[in-house]
Amino acid sequence: MFRDIRPVLSALLRNRTGAVLVGLQVAIALAVLVNAVYIVKQRVDLIGRPTGLDVGNIFVLSSAGFTQDHDRYATMREDLAWLRSLPDVRAATSTNAIPLSGGGSSTGIATTPEASSEQTVPMNYFQVDEDGLEALGVTLAAGRNFRADEILPPDLNSDRAIPQVIITKALARSLFRTDDAVGKVVYDAFGRPTTVIGVIEHMQGSWLSWDKVDHVALVPEVASWSDNAYLVRTRPGTRAAVMRQAEEHLAASNTTRLIKFVRPLDYYRDRSYLSDRNMAVFLVTVTVLLAGVTALGIFALATFNVNVRTRQVGTRRAVGARRADIVRYFLVENWLVTTAGVVLGCALALAAGYQLSRQFELPRLDLYYLTGGVLALWLLGLAAAWQPARRAAKISPSMATRTI
Amino acid sequence: MLAMRHISKVFRTDLIETHALRDFSLGVDAGEFVAVTGPSGSGKTTFLNVAGLLETFDTGAYLLDGVDISGLSDDERSRLRNEKIGFIFQSFNLIPDLDIFDNVDVPLRYRRMPAAERRQRIDSALDIVGLKSRAHHLPSQLSGGQQQRVAIARAIAGDPKFLLADEPTGNLDSLMARQVMDLLEQINEMGTTIVLVTHDPELARRAQRNVQVVDGQISDYRPFAAQAAPAMAGALA
Repeated sequence: MFRDIRPVLSALLRNRTGAVLVGLQVAIALAVLVNAVYIVKQRVDLIGRPTGLDVGNIFVLSSAGFTQDHDRYATMREDLAWLRSLPDVRAATSTNAIPLSGGGSSTGIATTPEASSEQTVPMNYFQVDEDGLEALGVTLAAGRNFRADEILPPDLNSDRAIPQVIITKALARSLFRTDDAVGKVVYDAFGRPTTVIGVIEHMQGSWLSWDKVDHVALVPEVASWSDNAYLVRTRPGTRAAVMRQAEEHLAASNTTRLIKFVRPLDYYRDRSYLSDRNMAVFLVTVTVLLAGVTALGIFALATFNVNVRTRQVGTRRAVGARRADIVRYFLVENWLVTTAGVVLGCALALAAGYQLSRQFELPRLDLYYLTGGVLALWLLGLAAAWQPARRAAKISPSMATRTI
Repeated sequence: MLAMRHISKVFRTDLIETHALRDFSLGVDAGEFVAVTGPSGSGKTTFLNVAGLLETFDTGAYLLDGVDISGLSDDERSRLRNEKIGFIFQSFNLIPDLDIFDNVDVPLRYRRMPAAERRQRIDSALDIVGLKSRAHHLPSQLSGGQQQRVAIARAIAGDPKFLLADEPTGNLDSLMARQVMDLLEQINEMGTTIVLVTHDPELARRAQRNVQVVDGQISDYRPFAAQAAPAMAGALA
């Protein structure tokens, strides 16, 4: 192939307007494609991060009383007792916040009672009962679960110490530089001690865009949220049915409250990632369209070149070119245009990647993506030029002797 | 060198069948300079295309330098064209984007010759046509006559067994035409067989033998000298 390059390049340089335009198109396509795919990959990775939760089998039910004689804690006890009695429910707990939802509670804890604000580690906490671990579907890596007798009644003033806490490994590492946190003591913002009794392997908290999303603690306390909210974990394949059953029963069982919503946990995860997902879809669409337009540009240039060189191709065939030689000629010509665009596109892609990383604090462009983009555009270019090149190869050598 | 026996070639459309060549037989010996003449539409170009392996034929037999053309694949026909035939076209058919050197180089590249040999052959061919000094000019920078000489250089650079010339002076003025014909005669004297297709009787007279094609058939098949002698005798009387 390379022995054909010099005369092809020589001819190309004498008719460069179309080639320059298509080369620029390839360059821009490469710069956009590489960075878009890289950003999409980051979004996909972000969305695909493990939550640590059994998201596919958990649902959230929220109810609120609307009469003066509504006893929310009595209702909560009744609701949880009924939910736990269902054969398809593995566990149910009250909670002050919904994981992955974008709403929740946070505070700071430290390893010393007089820690400065810089020494305080931020964390997201969930008030749960002894069913909390099972209802969330998280894995306990060390230590133990809460006992029923350790669950504290609601604390509406938030002014008491919490004796025990279960924390995630990520939080343990931030606090103690080790996963081995069981038995260690942490202190709240008021310097009150709390003993770590268990360590969860991994769990994402409420805010998926927070860089400390896995700094989570479970607190043994009846939730003191304004509404009653339950996290219910079902057996695989039964969630939808249990959700319907729970909504119907709980609505009918207590007429002093209304059911605000019954939603699968996926709903919150999907809602939290909505902008990431939309951006990924948008970028994929733009990338596909751009690749299509670029392919059309290459196809159009190759088709034009074939059409204006019908006599020339006939002459080449007459003086001995095989069909394969003609195909190769047009593919080499197209490859040169694409390569020129790709070289410029690499520089543009790196510059765009650098600017994106500076402006939006994105990681720097991975060169594997650049390499992949180059290969993709080479293949795209060859594929787009293939049909015109094949058509050129079908031009009869007798075209050389035609005078019209 | 060239032996055609009972060749026929029919062009078909949905409505019309055109018999471009019918029962066409012609032999050309090595070293001959033959002119094929005939009026427009007589089948000259079809003969040229078939003789030059640019088109296939329907029936008959064709031996080119001892090779039976029937049944050859497209690639084999391309290789034969490249190795045995040099083409000279009425419109020169130079590639406008390539300089003279690269134009002459085109058939040699398709023969996969080493670069050094190609260079030597191109220099030699351009020397024969007197354009060595213009090797790096573009065709558009040359006159019509010079462009046709470049085309002749391209045709002879591969050292073909025979040249097929299609109205080689059709786009040239009389002075240029004479120069081109002189060049063709010179090449023929070096041993290359030439078949010249033309409608111009003046040009045909310079060939050793004249073949006239009418309605796809040879109507007259004699050496030109034999044709011209009675007329000359009559004129002198």
